[in-house]
Parts: sequence; C-alpha cells; structure tokens
Amino acid sequence: MNSGREVSDGRLTVEGFSVAARAFADKWKIHNQSFPPWSWVPLINRTLHLSNQQEEGYLSLEEILILSSLEESPEDESLNVATDCLEKEESVDHTILNQENEAHYYDFHIVYSSSYKVPVLYFRGYCSGGQPLSLDVIKKDLPSCSVSLLHESKWTFITQEEHPYLNRPWFKLHPCGTEDWIKLLSQSSISTGCQMPVDLYLVSWFSVVGQVVGLRIPLEMLN
Amino acid sequence: MSETEASPTVLQFAPLYSSVDEGFWHSFSSLKLDKLGIDDSPIPITGFYGPCSHPQVSNHLTLLSESLPLDEQSLIASTSHGNRNKCPVPGIMYNTNTLESFNKLDKQSLLKAEANKIWDDIQSGKALEDPAVLSRFLVISFADLKKWSFRYWFAFPALVLDPPASLIELKPASEYFSSEEAESVSAACNEWRNSDLTTDVPFFLVSVSSDSKASIRHLKDWKACQGDHHKLFFGFYDPCHLPNNPGWPLRNYLALIRARWNLETVWFFCYRESRGFADLNLSLVGQASVTLASGESAETVPNSVGWELNNKGKRVPRSISLANSMDPTRLAVSAVDLNLKLMRWRALPSLDLNLLSSVKCLLLGAGTLGCQVARTLMGWGIRNITFVDYGKVAMSNPVRQSLYTFEDCGEFKAVAAVKSLKQIFPAMESSGVVVAIPMPGHPISSQEEDSVLADCKRLSELIESHDVVFLLTDTRESRWLPSLLCANANKMAINAALGFDSYMVMRHGAGPTSLSDDMQNLDMDKTNKQRLGCYFCNDVVAPQDSMTDRTLDQQCTVTRPGLAPIAGALAVELLVGVLQHPLGINAKGDNSSLSNGGNNDDLPLGILPHQIRGSVSQFSQITLLGQASNSCTACSETVISEYRERGNSFILEAINHPTYLEDLTGLTELKKAANSFNLDWEDDDTDDEDVAVDM
Repeated sequence: MNSGREVSDGRLTVEGFSVAARAFADKWKIHNQSFPPWSWVPLINRTLHLSNQQEEGYLSLEEILILSSLEESPEDESLNVATDCLEKEESVDHTILNQENEAHYYDFHIVYSSSYKVPVLYFRGYCSGGQPLSLDVIKKDLPSCSVSLLHESKWTFITQEEHPYLNRPWFKLHPCGTEDWIKLLSQSSISTGCQMPVDLYLVSWFSVVGQVVGLRIPLEMLN
Repeated sequence: MSETEASPTVLQFAPLYSSVDEGFWHSFSSLKLDKLGIDDSPIPITGFYGPCSHPQVSNHLTLLSESLPLDEQSLIASTSHGNRNKCPVPGIMYNTNTLESFNKLDKQSLLKAEANKIWDDIQSGKALEDPAVLSRFLVISFADLKKWSFRYWFAFPALVLDPPASLIELKPASEYFSSEEAESVSAACNEWRNSDLTTDVPFFLVSVSSDSKASIRHLKDWKACQGDHHKLFFGFYDPCHLPNNPGWPLRNYLALIRARWNLETVWFFCYRESRGFADLNLSLVGQASVTLASGESAETVPNSVGWELNNKGKRVPRSISLANSMDPTRLAVSAVDLNLKLMRWRALPSLDLNLLSSVKCLLLGAGTLGCQVARTLMGWGIRNITFVDYGKVAMSNPVRQSLYTFEDCGEFKAVAAVKSLKQIFPAMESSGVVVAIPMPGHPISSQEEDSVLADCKRLSELIESHDVVFLLTDTRESRWLPSLLCANANKMAINAALGFDSYMVMRHGAGPTSLSDDMQNLDMDKTNKQRLGCYFCNDVVAPQDSMTDRTLDQQCTVTRPGLAPIAGALAVELLVGVLQHPLGINAKGDNSSLSNGGNNDDLPLGILPHQIRGSVSQFSQITLLGQASNSCTACSETVISEYRERGNSFILEAINHPTYLEDLTGLTELKKAANSFNLDWEDDDTDDEDVAVDM
C-alpha cells in the first residue's frame, strides 16, 4: 500500500492534510448543501520550498448565521457623547427604524498543526456590527449536547489561542487528544486494521469535532 | 403588471449598516503604530458589501483587514476582485489623534464633501463606468491604542431628492414577473453572479424582452438597451431583507438615473439571494416617481444625509473595546492561564487554580533562594509576591540570583526583584520592602531601639497581610523573629536553608494557639493534635550570632550553585502541596516510605512531607518528620504567650540577651539535666528518621 495514501497512527502529514482537505470540501459541497461550501485559503509561502509543490493553506467556512432572540447587545464602553452636533437633517423619506435581530455570525477554520500533526478547528463568533463574542455567549449558541460533551470529555475542550496566520486570538478545540481518538475511530471502522485512507481523515475527524460546535455532517459523507 | 394603490407614498429606504471585522482594527492599529504615527490625513479605504443572502437578516457594509492599503506582512493573499460577496466600494477614513478632535470634526462638511464626490461621479459619467462609486462611504474614528478601544461613526452619503421620490408600487419579483420571465431573470442573474468579471458590479440593467428572455447589461450600455418591446429595470444588489422597503443604495441610484437620463418614472429591481442563488421571492420589483421640482435644474447639487444609527437606533458614534484580544498584557495573562488550565485538564483535575492566583506570598530574602522561589511561584500562577531584603545587588550576584542582571548591580534587591518580575510577566502584583530583620544575638544600642521596634512592627504587619511566608535569609538567627511571628499569627511558613553542599526545606507547623481556636471542631485523634515543628524546635540553644568571628568563607554564604535552584523549587512544590491539601497548615507530615509509590485520588500531588533534607555530594534526599517542641524558642506556647503579653520588651530582651530565651523556655534546665544524666545510647530504638531515599 502506498504509505502516503493511508494513515495508521492517527496523524497527518502536511501533504496529507491538503489532500484530505480537498476531499472533505468536495464531499461537503455534494452532501451538505444546507451549508455554504468550505473554501481553501492558500498561504503565501515566504520561505523557499523548492521541492514543495503542494501549497499550504487552510479550510475556511465563514459567516454562518445563528439568529438568537432579540436581546440586549453587549454594552459598549459608555459613550460620553455630549451633544449630537448634527443639525436636523432628516427629510421625510428616510428611515424605518430597523429593529435588527441580534444575529451571531461564526467563522470556522480548519488549520493543520505541524506540532501535533493533526487538524485543528479554530472558530470565532461576532455580532452584526463586528464585535467579537465572548466564550460565554458562544456557549449559549452551542447545542446543549455539545456543552455537556465539553464538560465531560477529556478529548475536547475549548481554549483561546493565537490563530497561526491571523495574529489574533481565536477559539480552538485543543488538539492534544486528537491523535488518540482518531486511532480509536480508525480501529473500529475500517476492516483492514488501523488504516484510514487519507481522504477520509478529515471527514472522520469532523464527524466528531463538528458536533462540539453544532455542525453536523450527513452520514453519506462517511462513505 | 398589475396596479396597486393609486396614490403614491413617499419612498422609504432601509438604512445601510456597517460591520467592522476585528481584523480591520488589528490592521489599522498596526498601520497607525508602525507607519502613520500622528499623521491624521484621511486614509482611502475599501468597504465590501453584497446582496442580502438571508430572509431575516440584512447584509452590511463590511470593513476587513484588507480594507486598508496593502499589508505586506500578511500571510494570506488579500481578496482579489471577483469575490461575489465582497463588492468593493471606495471610502475614506478620518482618524483623529484625540477624543476631543474626534468630537470636534465638522461632520456636516465631511459628509457634504463625500456627497459631492458622488455627484461629480454622476455628472462626469464615472458612475456609469464604475457604479460602485455610488455607494461611496465615510468613516470617522478615534483609535485609543492604549486602551485598545475604538470609537467610530459611518456615514453612507445619500443625495436627497427634492421633492422626495415616491413609490408607485412594490412587490416581490416572483409576483411581478410571469413564471417564464422569472426563470429567465433568475438564470441571467445567476450567470452574472457566477462570472468573476461581473459578480462584484453592484448596479446593472435587467432587460426583459417581449418573449420573456432576460439579459443583464452594464449601466453604460443603457443607450444600447433602448428598444421597443423591452422592459428595462434598474437592478442593484440590495443588502436589505425587508419585504416592503428597498435598500439604501437605491437612493443614489435614483439620483443618477434622474440626472443622466432624465427619467421621471423608474422601474427598479432589488436583487437579493439565498443559498448563493437568485431568490425572486425575496427580491423586489418596484416603480418610483422621481419628478424634478419645477424651476430646478438637474445640475444643482442636492443635499445629503446618511450618518449611521447605532445599534440602539440613536444617531451617535459606535464604540468597541478589543482589549481582550489586543492588549499584550491581557494576552500574556490568558496564555499563562491557559497553560495552567491545560495542566489541570490533562493531569490534575482537582487543582484549585483560583486559590493559587489569589494567594499572597511574602519572601524574606531576595538572594539565591528568594529569586528561585519567586520564579517557581510564577510558574504556578501565583501573582502576588512581596520581597523583603535589606541588601543591594552585588557584582557577584547576577550569576546566581536569577532575577538580576548586570545592570541591576547597586540597586536595592527588593526593588530590582520587583522590576524583574514585572518584566517577566506584566500582570504580576509585586512590591519590595527594604528593611532589616532584627536578630537575637546582635545586641542593639538604646538609640537604635526605636527604629528596630519599628522594623519589628513592619515585619509583623507584613506577615499579617500575607498568606504564606518564605524564610529565605542567609543566617539562622534572622529566621527567629519571623518564625515567632508566623507561629503567633498562625501563618504558613516555608523555610529553606543551604549548607555548602546540602539543603533543607521544611514547612513549619501551625501556631500553638491554633490548637484551641481552629481544631476544636475537627475530629482528630491525639497524635494529630501534635503540631509539626518549626526550624528551631530541635535546637537546644537559642539562636546566636553565627556570623562574627567566623572566618571569611564561613561568613559569606558559600554554597554549591545547584543547591539554591533545587531547594527553592522544592520549597514551592511543598507550598503548593500544602495549599491544595484540605487541612492546609494543619496537614500532617508524610514520610516517603509510607506512600505506595504513586499518587492516589486523595493526594493528587503526592505526599506532603514535613522536612526534606538533601545533599549533592551524595545526590540523595530524605524526608523527616518532627513534632513541635514545648521548649522551642520560636513557636512554643511559652514563648508565644510571653510575646503576646510583653510585646516589644520581650523582643528587645530576646535580641539583647540570648540566654533569656533559653531560660524562658526551660532549655537551661534541660541542659543541666542532660549534663547530669548518663544515657545509654546503645539501647536506642528506632527514631523518626527514615530510610534515605535515593533520588
């Protein structure tokens, strides 16, 4: 068997990640049309990698909308605006006071971790004006089963760390347990021992990880 | 095409709202700090918007990191043209350097200036070539880069039509078009949207022929679209989702149409999508009337409106604080906290991190031991450390005392240590006290009495106001008063001392009065009621002057350099063990031989010894257990009650007359008794000493 096509120790190479990512995105597009598709964001490779033909990058799924009920948006810093220095300017044909529902948007990135050699799910939430959501608020948007999963499971917990390419803190599902439970998954599902084909890696991985953030994938994707 | 009400109403537009991605502020902050400095000239920026994509939520005009002039440091290629949801729109940003100048900006004229640009683009025809300029916008802002908060206000200049446009009819496109027409319109829109060349052109013409074939054309092809039997609609990407109102971009669109083509009624098409495809239920078709007022030429510059409402509907600036993701100190704090949490999650679920971050440690001595203890405490997440040291950093110190560098030589140690901690971790709460610890056996003159007593009082207050005291000084006698004060106040004391090639680390037991106060309620048997001993419990002499008359090498503390890190680290690990133990200071002492070699659930951190002694000449280490002595010169009940009764005079006497303590505690008697006693050492049974454990 071509060793580059299969994973037997729960870990991925960086080339394997690129292959798995495209396979995942393609399957998602076909089977999961209730969501927009994942897009591949290539990284500008600043170091000279003459032999490396595969571009590096990550998968991105952005602006997923979750409508919560009309609640007070988080208080901004107190606005000491003394006077509204605009004159009366509004003519009649102007605004309907747009009662915006408090919409929460989520961005998800699947990024390869070269130190753990596994994919990592990064995510963040923000409201319509762009203000980032805190973890407490995000947890309220998560399905209740995932909140208990986070509490009990020692495989999955959310931490806040710097996004490897965007230089600001994002939330992520910590990858330290990934290698172990991928091995468990591959043992139970594939008949030929612990091997898992590379292009199924991300699909299997996401079937677990996605549940934590409320993104389910249809079973057909696992075939 | 069916008629609705006969009387037209004033056309009401839904306002456009802004959405500023966090990344924009990050990039802007870098730009301001690295390039712009105090330059506050206006910055050309690019906004992005697309058609509404959800039936319940409107889209916004968005600013992203790539809205600013190119960032060479970015690892991600910036969005090139052809992104269907990011139609680029030109804008301008006025960022002021102070809040006052932000408030003083002449908003009227800024708005007018941008509106004039739109008007000029309409008049010159540029708006036909590049229609996105119709949605030109303006942002004013004040970025407070010390607090990482941003105040900003968007304006979407809209030319006011006079008289205002009126609405003749408006309905969903699917109701307006026949099903054949609708299908063709959808297909044409999807084609327009799927092509990189046209997908980010937000204003276009929809031409529907008499045989229900639709095609989409650029605005500049308007003349070519004039023909018989064609219905022509002015289409635009409508960010708004509301079923009864068109979105803001229509305002300037109508101004353009009226000015360029002199039309008085306009058929418009509000294009909206869902799931990435044209949605003709959501999209609207409408007819507006845009007559000119009599006597007015089409070339007069109209007035403009457009300052954005905040999310409470008020016409005031918006504000956002990004300190949590941008303030470097906060980022350091969350990184350090994360590290500790990972330890708890993966290895020690019962670890009480809140306790560690709130405990206040007093370090008596900021030398080799003090520096090592401080560093290890920081590693455990302890944030509150006070140093007490009378000395200054000497030239020989930096190599052994890990908080000091060459530049610190000559500084007071207590001061330099605090500075060093803050440099390592800015969120440390640390202070330094330069005071000498009074010592028995070093008599003082009567002039010095007052200041020495003041120092005692100071020391006592420091001990009272902290939770844990580390005794890390370089003489035996300097540990006496702190030991007594800790026993008196029942404060946790951890003692570390170095020989040339050996070390000792121990935790003092609870104070003698604690037995009556705290432990009445605890159900403990007789053996546990015994307190653990302190540093002086095993002494048969009171602390004396150990320094004068010794040879020079014995006077300076000369020790093997490896010892201080070992002893300092052990002292902190011992402390953490005590803090995590349910009985705290009253925890009984364990011996390493008693443990079964592993950590059990009761003791996740392992055993909690009383004393640890080790040597590097043997690379060995043992644990010891010692009970408190009733004749102890520092922690016995006799001494403590005498201190409580006589206070300062007791201290002065102990300092000036070393035999006083021996008499008081009965050690004098004990010695006399010992000398007159013949002991048969041969029959000695096992004692408390343990088997040496090889490390």
